[in-house]
Parts: sequence; C-alpha cells; structure tokens
Amino acid sequence: MKAAVASLLLITNLLAYNQGDTINDSMASHLGMKSDKLYVVDFFASWCSSCKKELPLVSKINKGLDTNSVEIIGIDVDKDVSKGMKFQEKLKSEGSLTFRVINDPQNLIISEFQPIGMPTLYYIKNRKVMKIITGAVDEIDRVILRDIKEME
Amino acid sequence: MKRVILTAVATVFLLSGCISDVKPWEKETLAKATMKESGTNPLAKKYEEHIYFSKEASRGGSGVAGGGCGCN
Repeated sequence: MKAAVASLLLITNLLAYNQGDTINDSMASHLGMKSDKLYVVDFFASWCSSCKKELPLVSKINKGLDTNSVEIIGIDVDKDVSKGMKFQEKLKSEGSLTFRVINDPQNLIISEFQPIGMPTLYYIKNRKVMKIITGAVDEIDRVILRDIKEME
Repeated sequence: MKRVILTAVATVFLLSGCISDVKPWEKETLAKATMKESGTNPLAKKYEEHIYFSKEASRGGSGVAGGGCGCN
C-alpha cells in the first residue's frame, strides 16, 4: 500500500513542471509565448495574502522592463472569475497590476505547472523553465531584477 | 476471496477523491478568516491566550518566538 501511495506521489510530481523542464507547445501558445523572450509567469489569487504583498512589487519593476526581451504574465487562479476580476480591477486602480493577466478559473494552467505553494514565479525562456520561486520572498522586486539580469 | 475483496476496497479508497491532497491553488476556503482558530476576530485569540498564560503561568508557552535570527 505504501509503495502504491509513494508511486502515485512520484507520478504526480513528475507531471509538474520543474526547473529545466520544457513546457509543451499548446501551453506556450496558450500563454502567448514567443521564443527568445524571457517570461516571468506569476501565479496568484485574490485569497492569497502573500500574493497581495507581492503583486505591487512585481508591477513596480514591470514598468521599467524592456518588453521586447522580458514579459511578466499573471495567472489568476481564482475559481470565481468575477471575484478575480474585482481583485484585479482594485489592483489596477492602485497601479499595482501593470502586466497581462490570464484568468484560469478551471485551474487548467496551474494544474499543469503544479507549483508547491502560492504565489509562485516561473522564469521561462525558449519554453524552458529556468527557475522557480515559491512563496513569500522579501524584496521580491530586487530578486526578480537580479534574476532577469542573469538570464537575459 | 477475502484478499481480493480487501484489495478491491483498498483500490477504491486509493483512487477515490477522499484521500487526494489539497493543492496549493485550492486553498481558498482554508485561507478564509473564519478558518482561523480565533475566527474573524483576532482579538479573541489574544484574549484566550491572555487567560491561558495567566491561569497556567505559561507566558510564551504557545507558539514560537522570533525568526531564528538570534537577534531578540
């Protein structure tokens, strides 16, 4: 029994996107990704308190990025789209949401990535997952800028 | 026969949703204020803790103080 449970957990983990994995074509096109551009995919939700702290900082750095080489994409995983949109509108009115957001109410996108916590950032270039940052991180804006500089 | 039935029952339980873990993106309900021990009123928790440590003389006996930096 233990072996069966362990196998299931292993299989579940293998289905997730980890560092070094390549995301499939359909997911890349669904997210509107082009080659040779670095993408920072930020999974968030209105109920996630760490996401609320992180989003203004991510938005702040987004304003100064060269959009030809780097793009931040938000994935709102709220199951209730109206709730998610209300949250996004509030952030936009405060200037705390300055990047493109894709709503994922059926959790199809996040189910494929399978992050181990919320919020999670995926750095993706040429469909390859370069790095993953999970959970609340102090001064995330500085961390992202440093990572982008290293990856560009 | 008994072993077959037991295996079948175990398989059903294994494949059923009752043992599936809650994914991080499915924790909306768990993140609600009402799911906290103190409910929606954070003062209630403080009040209960105050009574507890006053009665038990156990101030600081609940939770973990500090962030492990050794600075306090």
